[in-house]
Amino acid sequence: MIKGILSGNVALFHESDTYIVDVYGPAARAIEQSQTETVITGPHDAFTEQANSNLSLIRERLKSSHLKVIKLEVGEVAKSNAYILYIKDIANMDYVNELASRIKAMEIDTVYDTNMLIQCIDDNPSSIFPQFISTERPDTAVSKLSDGKVLCFLDGSPSIVSVPASFFEFFTSSDDYYQRWAIGSATRLLRLVAFIITITFTAVYVSITTFHYEMIPEHLLLSLTESRNRVPFPPLYEALLMETTIELLREAGARLPTKIGQTIGIVGGIVIGQSAVQAGFTSNILVIAVASSAIASFVVPNYVMSASIRLVRFGLIILAGLLGNFGLAAGIAAVVIHLSGLTSLGSSYLSPVAPFHSSDWKDVFIRAPFSLFTRRPSQSKSPNKIRNKMRK
Amino acid sequence: MRNKLSFFHTTIMIYMFQSGVVILSMPHILAYYFGTNGWLAVILISLIVNVNIGFIFLVYRLGKGRSVFEILEQSVSKVILFPLYIALAILWTVLGSLVSKDYVHIFQLFSFPNTPPMLLTVLMGLLALMLLVKGIFVIERAATIFFWLIIWMLLLLFAFSYDFEWVRLTPFVFKEGDNFLLGGLNLLKGFLGYELSLFLFPYSDKRTKLIQAVIIANVMITLVYFITCFIAYGFYSLNQLKGVLYPVIDMMSYIKFPFVQRVENLFYGFFMFTNLFSTVAYVWAAKEACQRVFKKVKPGILAVVLIIIGFSAIAIPDVTGEVREWLAFLGFFEIGVAFILPVLLILVLITQRIMGGAR
Repeated sequence: MIKGILSGNVALFHESDTYIVDVYGPAARAIEQSQTETVITGPHDAFTEQANSNLSLIRERLKSSHLKVIKLEVGEVAKSNAYILYIKDIANMDYVNELASRIKAMEIDTVYDTNMLIQCIDDNPSSIFPQFISTERPDTAVSKLSDGKVLCFLDGSPSIVSVPASFFEFFTSSDDYYQRWAIGSATRLLRLVAFIITITFTAVYVSITTFHYEMIPEHLLLSLTESRNRVPFPPLYEALLMETTIELLREAGARLPTKIGQTIGIVGGIVIGQSAVQAGFTSNILVIAVASSAIASFVVPNYVMSASIRLVRFGLIILAGLLGNFGLAAGIAAVVIHLSGLTSLGSSYLSPVAPFHSSDWKDVFIRAPFSLFTRRPSQSKSPNKIRNKMRK
Repeated sequence: MRNKLSFFHTTIMIYMFQSGVVILSMPHILAYYFGTNGWLAVILISLIVNVNIGFIFLVYRLGKGRSVFEILEQSVSKVILFPLYIALAILWTVLGSLVSKDYVHIFQLFSFPNTPPMLLTVLMGLLALMLLVKGIFVIERAATIFFWLIIWMLLLLFAFSYDFEWVRLTPFVFKEGDNFLLGGLNLLKGFLGYELSLFLFPYSDKRTKLIQAVIIANVMITLVYFITCFIAYGFYSLNQLKGVLYPVIDMMSYIKFPFVQRVENLFYGFFMFTNLFSTVAYVWAAKEACQRVFKKVKPGILAVVLIIIGFSAIAIPDVTGEVREWLAFLGFFEIGVAFILPVLLILVLITQRIMGGAR
């Protein structure tokens, strides 16, 4: 009863009985578009900070009696509510039980957001990379549920996490499913190319201009040396300077209101970029490299993953600046080894490449026609592997 | 999670164990020792390797998948076995570490000639350690990713389609060669790594299809060597091949793209991945052997100690010539181990069967 009152309910005493009446209706933000996961086509509604509203958004799309919700308490002081959602007979109960036991085992005063919650329960808390995928979109959440994944969210947070997650899942967007399959597939491949550009483009520039000038063809060499001859710094410093500037602009743009944020973009992108080249601080080819990798990093649909990749890029630039192509290869090797060792709720982070499940590739590297999606992802280890048959 | 190796990943992992920088000089070795149409020798050596894999299969079958250490310890006294384990561990640790140093020395032929080679070698040691401390299942997963990162390089061979001349192959076979036996042994070193499948028995079950995986990996490496050497024989003349120490590197430097040339600088970096797995394979085998002797020491600590020992030992050979001499010496030893160890195990297993039957 005390718990009910503390949760905002009214206690009604009648003779020897006590009734808890739910009259709790706090002011809440209306359902709006997601700011971090915008799509061009498809539904535009997003989760809010209200757990009931979020549950209703999912129920609205998934009218199944098999959809189950487990409510848990998190935080010794705050006593927030965490919810675990899964579809009975589709989700693997080992994952559900493991997630529930990890949440129950948490020892923390207060948790403010789902993104904070997952950092307390993920497999490798010290890793740069996120191991659970979070979303603010109900359509994405429902698709994860039907894949056999387990969802988790915290009351007071607009993010819902899906577990287990794979590294390649972070490069998919719900937009891929609303476009024709060929366009969706091309966009996915583009994102993977963007990932490669983000982590290697500036590093390759630094490596080549510091140690391997012979790799540049003659016709390019002339324009490159012309653009670099006024720059007084080694390429490593030059690249780090520009990359840091880009990060400053990004951070400033993110913290300011939208209109001022745009101004910052213009001031940074055009004024600083142009002036830095004219002042001889940097070469214009480096500006192209840095800008391309920055744009490519924003192509990655998941903001948390995008931020992780940008940080890894700095490490690769430093290694390339110190040891050229050798350092670059060593850096890539270190990242791959690290990724290989990661797990998400005990399952491999690099699924479906390692462990190899070729049948899942058609919804990872490309977005095949829906008629080919006959099986749920193997990472889900679903007891109900086959999806309902679709007419071909 | 299934705590046994999977067939697909084991195949890739064994392939990665086998492949290394030997491919860079293989056409030269073939031309020097086998002469005209030396690329045919790749198939001959591959067949010999398959015979050896047959012995490993017999060990697997007779031992019913038991660990080779268990098989040996059942019949042979630990007083004899433990020094043998330590000796093998030293051989594998130093050989694995040397492979890294050899890679670095080749890299320094065209980049960083003034950087101390041990600095770069230690960096490779750290990468190997990152894999070793995580165990065989992570090594298996990482091998698959690295495999995809390097296998596309085979497509580069299409770049030589215009420069390949059939006339350079000549109708004569194995003429102008030098020493077939020595050449064969040198070639065999390029296939080594498969013998470490002996130590994968405890991590395998029926679904792993270990021996099939080893055979397929060997077929894959044979194909890669065969295609590369065949194209090198059609690209260079025999005398050119005899004169160029690393023909495959020179072939890579011949490729030009609109935005980049001399790509061997970059692509040689990718060879680090295959080389890394050769190092990891041997040091991992050494760790497995040492674990039998030092049962209470944690595997991670053993890996650190072995890497320190291995990379300290390889600081002794200073110049490329010395590294090559050490590699040749230890490589021949390893060929001996690869052939003798399975035969020894088969003898032990047959003895165990006879003794068991007599009882």
